[in-house]
Amino acid sequence: MNEGYKLAGSGPMTMESIGPGDLLPRADALGKEGWRIVQILAVSLAEGVELSYAFGLAHELRILRFVAAPGSPVPSLTPVFPAAFLYENEIHDLFGVAIERIAVDWLGKTYDVAEPGRFDLMRLSLPSVEEGGR
Amino acid sequence: MSVAVKKETGPTLIPFGPQHPVLPEPLHFDLLLEDEKVVGATPQLGYIHRGLELLCDKRDLADYVHVAERICGICSFMHGMGYCEAVERLFGVAVPDRARWLRTFWCELERIQSHLLWLGLAADALGFENLFMAAWRARELVVDVAEETAGGRVIFGSAIVGGVARDPDDETLRRCLAAMGPARDETLRLAEIMLRDATVVHRLARVGILSKEAAYRLGAVGPMLRASGHDYDVRRSGYAAYGEFDWNVIVEERGDCQARALVRLREIEESFAMLERIVARMPSGPVSVPVKGPPPPGESWMRVEQPRGEVLYYVRSNGTRQLQRFRVRTPTFANVPAMVEALKGASLADLPTIVLTIDPCISCTER
Repeated sequence: MNEGYKLAGSGPMTMESIGPGDLLPRADALGKEGWRIVQILAVSLAEGVELSYAFGLAHELRILRFVAAPGSPVPSLTPVFPAAFLYENEIHDLFGVAIERIAVDWLGKTYDVAEPGRFDLMRLSLPSVEEGGR
Repeated sequence: MSVAVKKETGPTLIPFGPQHPVLPEPLHFDLLLEDEKVVGATPQLGYIHRGLELLCDKRDLADYVHVAERICGICSFMHGMGYCEAVERLFGVAVPDRARWLRTFWCELERIQSHLLWLGLAADALGFENLFMAAWRARELVVDVAEETAGGRVIFGSAIVGGVARDPDDETLRRCLAAMGPARDETLRLAEIMLRDATVVHRLARVGILSKEAAYRLGAVGPMLRASGHDYDVRRSGYAAYGEFDWNVIVEERGDCQARALVRLREIEESFAMLERIVARMPSGPVSVPVKGPPPPGESWMRVEQPRGEVLYYVRSNGTRQLQRFRVRTPTFANVPAMVEALKGASLADLPTIVLTIDPCISCTER
């Protein structure tokens, strides 16, 4: 985190950078301590998609964070926290992150977005009448 | 001569939704049934995604409040306020005391109208049309007060970055409290019907049970979590003015549809009592402070207790007036896995009731 970067919240919180390979063992340890998944957040950056895994215990938040490089898959959190499947499907569809072995995988149909990544209106083309367009 | 007929038996897969008479908004389940019993359910969302989060980098952060409020037509004020509090924490701005108390007033007003709206929808799902109409008639008195104090019946429009846009005087607030008296009395009468009528009890009691352990493990929030025995409410973290007066967290133990109904009905009564305390202690003074210039680079995580449960707002600044990222994790988004768990083992006929007692808001969830 750069100097001068502000981290604010409505309660106590800690943030830690980890590697993708550390995610499951760290999440498993947190789960055994009573933490539960509160959110998985994706932010598009120049170097990839930053993924923040927020765990909650009462009013406290603990956040594990890493950047998923383009084209490199990340492990699913669902073996440890089954409730993570909604977040992971959304992140796959809207940010194009490949997530391996999601327990309930909607296979890119969460929001029926035609292509992974940001919706681009200028690249959208309507189907021809022969193809069923009206 | 008798002929033995061997029947092929096994689970049956049937679709439920996205259009269904009991669903106000589209939601789909692939249900796995053994006879009439649900043994598995796979949810599917995605029918009304609007991409509201993506607008944050195209609007000034002060203007984006109008978008945040429109995430949901039921919890609009809390969405606007939660966004504003996240941005204010990024700036390091403290809003005036009266603004914090007015925000708390409108939050509880919104909780009452949302729970009464739920009561009407639940009654409608049970086929109890009189109860549905009576609940929504009581709700009208509450949204009348929202209109008089905030300016809007559905979209309040009173949350701004730095405070609130409206300042109803103390006499108006006292008069509004009195005007809601009949709604409070009527709610008690309707709660008695909802909890004692034999037909309603038959549909709610011991139906759609979510255990204490499953509610926590699957990330349930709000009344769904509290009806399964967890004493957890984000208002206890003390945002707005919640840390400055006494109020009770409503908790039930049974985890069934009736417990979820009881939590919401008691929360209506508790919110009416909170409104009295808020108006009695409403401080005087300004209701906003100017928030100028760009915010510092950074991020802010804000948790708010909406009628359906905890909502999490995330804002990220790159040092300009247009946010780099806004994300809202709504309570229904968190409650979907627990909802699926509550469906398991239930009768197919009870499925609409179970879904309604979770009070899903799909518009919020898909943003």
